[in-house]
Amino acid sequence: MKEIWRLLKTEDNAGAVNMAIDKAVIVSNSNKKVPPTVRFFTWKPPTISIGYFQSLEEEIDLNNCKEFGVDYVRRITGGGAVFHEEELTYSIIIPESHPQIPKNIMESYGRICGAVIKGLKNLGIESEYKPINDIITSGKKISGNAQTRKMKTVLQHGTVLTDVDVDKMFSLLKVPNEKIKDKLIADVKERVTSIKHVLGREIPFDDVAKAMKKGFEEEFNVELMEGTLTDEEIDLAKKFEKECFSARDWNHRR
Amino acid sequence: MQSKSVYKIPNGKLLKISLIYNGKDNTIDQISIMGDFFAYPEEAIEYMENELKNTFLDKNCLLEKINSVIKENNIEFIGLDVEGLTQGILMCLK
Repeated sequence: MKEIWRLLKTEDNAGAVNMAIDKAVIVSNSNKKVPPTVRFFTWKPPTISIGYFQSLEEEIDLNNCKEFGVDYVRRITGGGAVFHEEELTYSIIIPESHPQIPKNIMESYGRICGAVIKGLKNLGIESEYKPINDIITSGKKISGNAQTRKMKTVLQHGTVLTDVDVDKMFSLLKVPNEKIKDKLIADVKERVTSIKHVLGREIPFDDVAKAMKKGFEEEFNVELMEGTLTDEEIDLAKKFEKECFSARDWNHRR
Repeated sequence: MQSKSVYKIPNGKLLKISLIYNGKDNTIDQISIMGDFFAYPEEAIEYMENELKNTFLDKNCLLEKINSVIKENNIEFIGLDVEGLTQGILMCLK
């Protein structure tokens, strides 16, 4: 019999809520209160997440964010700034000791990205893992991923781009050298793609989620059963949202 | 004195250093190690920043100090390495 993992779908949450849910599930999974959990989610309002080690004010144009109604949040994972608007974001939370998860961090990136690659294949898109943390199709990035390990638990979250507006993204992100901004935008347009661009049509979130669910099930040989957050996770997430992810101390710490 | 550097780690990520240093003694007063790299555990980077205070801004001293902090705390870098971090810090002096 196949192992059963939990599937969560939490659409349209603020950045601080999304990050707080990931952290709450880490605690709950680490305390053996819930099975390994895969979550598919979206962001409302659109949000820029920055990596743990990034400087908020060096990466993000806060005035433009305010003007365009874009939120921001610091992640507990490393990696770069990401503009979350047209995408399915996934997270997987699983014990470090789980036999399906390689001990080696780079190998585990590859393994978890394997589920996203299978998910994309289910939509008719061939892709491959490109270390350190990208998935590419025809040489262009379609997914970025970031992992942390806390409380003997692995959290990896990542994006699957359903569409992308590079010009809007660069109006919100700062670049190290304004003089080469136009070239940088042109480069990124060449290097980044989305499900819509590859397939030539929009795919609804639910269909992308279905394909990704199957991808995770195939990669890990498990069954994902749709569930909900426990009451304890909801309380924990509210606490983390308030005390950490929506707090100035956290978001402006670098 | 205050200085910044941006250094693309070969085959790695973009490292940004913000440094306040004593130009007379050539030692670090305060350092922020920033960028889109990965480090496990993440919190160890703050410990590293603290431990680097008063370190001589010299390649060998920095390599030795960074290596000892990594060993002591079992830190794993991805997209960043000891040589790259040292290089990024020293670039602040140019």
